Amino acid sequence: MNSLERVAATIQFRETDRVPVIAQVFGHAAAVAGVALDDYVRDGETLARCQLNALKRYGYDSVFAVMDVHVETEAVGSVLRYRRNQYPVVERYALSRDGEWDTLALPDPQHSGRMPEMLKALGILRRELGDEVLVVGCVLGPFTLATQLLGLETALYLAIDDSPQLERLMDFATEIIIRFGLAQLWAGAHLPLVFDPSASPAVVPPKFFREFALPRLQRVFQAFSGAGAAANWLHIAGPSGAILPYYRKAGVDIANFDYAVSAAEARSQLPTTCLNGNIKSVAFIEGSPADIEAESVNLLRAFRDRGGFILSSGCEIPPESVPENVAALVTTARSLR
Amino acid sequence: MSDSQMDNLIVAILEGDSEESVSLAADLSRRGFTSKQIVIHGVEAAMSALDAKCTLEEFNLLEIMLAGRAVMEVVKFLHPAGTPMAGRKGTVVIATLEGDVHDLGKSILKMVLTGKGYHVVDCGKDCPMQKLIEVTEIELPLAIGISGLITPVIPLVKQVKDVLILRGLGRVKVMAGGAALKQSSSGNLNVDFVAESAFDSLRYLDEISGGVR
Repeated sequence: MNSLERVAATIQFRETDRVPVIAQVFGHAAAVAGVALDDYVRDGETLARCQLNALKRYGYDSVFAVMDVHVETEAVGSVLRYRRNQYPVVERYALSRDGEWDTLALPDPQHSGRMPEMLKALGILRRELGDEVLVVGCVLGPFTLATQLLGLETALYLAIDDSPQLERLMDFATEIIIRFGLAQLWAGAHLPLVFDPSASPAVVPPKFFREFALPRLQRVFQAFSGAGAAANWLHIAGPSGAILPYYRKAGVDIANFDYAVSAAEARSQLPTTCLNGNIKSVAFIEGSPADIEAESVNLLRAFRDRGGFILSSGCEIPPESVPENVAALVTTARSLR
Repeated sequence: MSDSQMDNLIVAILEGDSEESVSLAADLSRRGFTSKQIVIHGVEAAMSALDAKCTLEEFNLLEIMLAGRAVMEVVKFLHPAGTPMAGRKGTVVIATLEGDVHDLGKSILKMVLTGKGYHVVDCGKDCPMQKLIEVTEIELPLAIGISGLITPVIPLVKQVKDVLILRGLGRVKVMAGGAALKQSSSGNLNVDFVAESAFDSLRYLDEISGGVR
């Protein structure tokens, strides 16, 4: 059973040779290759080579063409500041609250910002790995992209002061996400991960998620399914327990859960959906391989009678993580059957 | 102090209605309530109610930001520029450290602490250690609050306590919070307290300051 088959079977709760393990290794792949993060997030070929090296080193079941959370907003016009060994940050958002929004143009994934580099990375990864290992792209969720176009604080106030305007912005964001996600599928991704941290109940109430985010996530996932995505994967970190029940309706096949949600709660909220999680990101920096092994064993036991589980971190494994800790995650999944 | 208009002010703040909050504070002021009374029985009472509501499950930035915006507007009305409100409970210096440009969490902390009677000195985001220490030397605060959304700032956070001790400021407590830092522990971060939320920081400050008015 290869990695892709293992993940596919797990999503359908079918029997597998072992539990799949997906370390959320993004910039950490650059760190272990000795490549500056700045180069990694700007050059598709570098990103792909680092991902392939990290795959070879750790032997997990998936690779990611994930740069950072600013790819879409930069393509629309936000100005970023790049930093040598950290992810870039937004210097100036593409939109302002009082600005003119009627003339917004959708970015072209083949030409805008770093989108083409990300597509290039996906093409290389898929060429090299074929259908052996899951190749994952990434788009933001509609609300998260709205916050990236306007700034989080401004977007949140807009949600209350002028919700129809926020909805217009989220519709625009949804169009970008669908267009970029489809381009990723055509470039070689088996699926684009939908990363939606701003939709977390830590940021907005569950009611907001239900009314504003859910209908747009449904559109996004319908479009991806229609274009042949291997699965729909939603990633919302933080205390997502209260919104997990909406995931089925959204069309989610794989639900990420972070450390703030227990395995028992995730199971009970989504009894028939594949889950991935949930070791604390910081544990990969501060913990020891023994700590990671213990956490992994606990998770594997928590899902042993159910299946439908991918062993993973709750969020990104930070770039500066200790490699032995990442290795411990993978080794534990591979050694327990 | 029981007054229906004061109760209305509390409700308006909790609902995040800035305009109504300022209007009610102005009415109370006209009726002879002092600024201190309005802050203690209106603004602080609203923040206490919000604290009670914000259990870990129900805490969300949106609600806190809206209430916080109303609080800041009321405070601005009662103490216009040039007549700064002296922190009755003490001073707190807050920052996000160099490399971290996210300041929403810090802004929330500022609103919550201001609303509860602390004088907050904000060193801003992406703040160099040198600046944080210089401001601390001038303000001699009860505590420093460091907010961190990303893990690369952890090595810097770990240094703060030691630098304070070297400068003879060892009595200043160091609090850490924010998405990245709250995953860690006070021991690992070399700080006095790791807060789960802004209200958690508030409770810690009330504890070390004795909540003195």
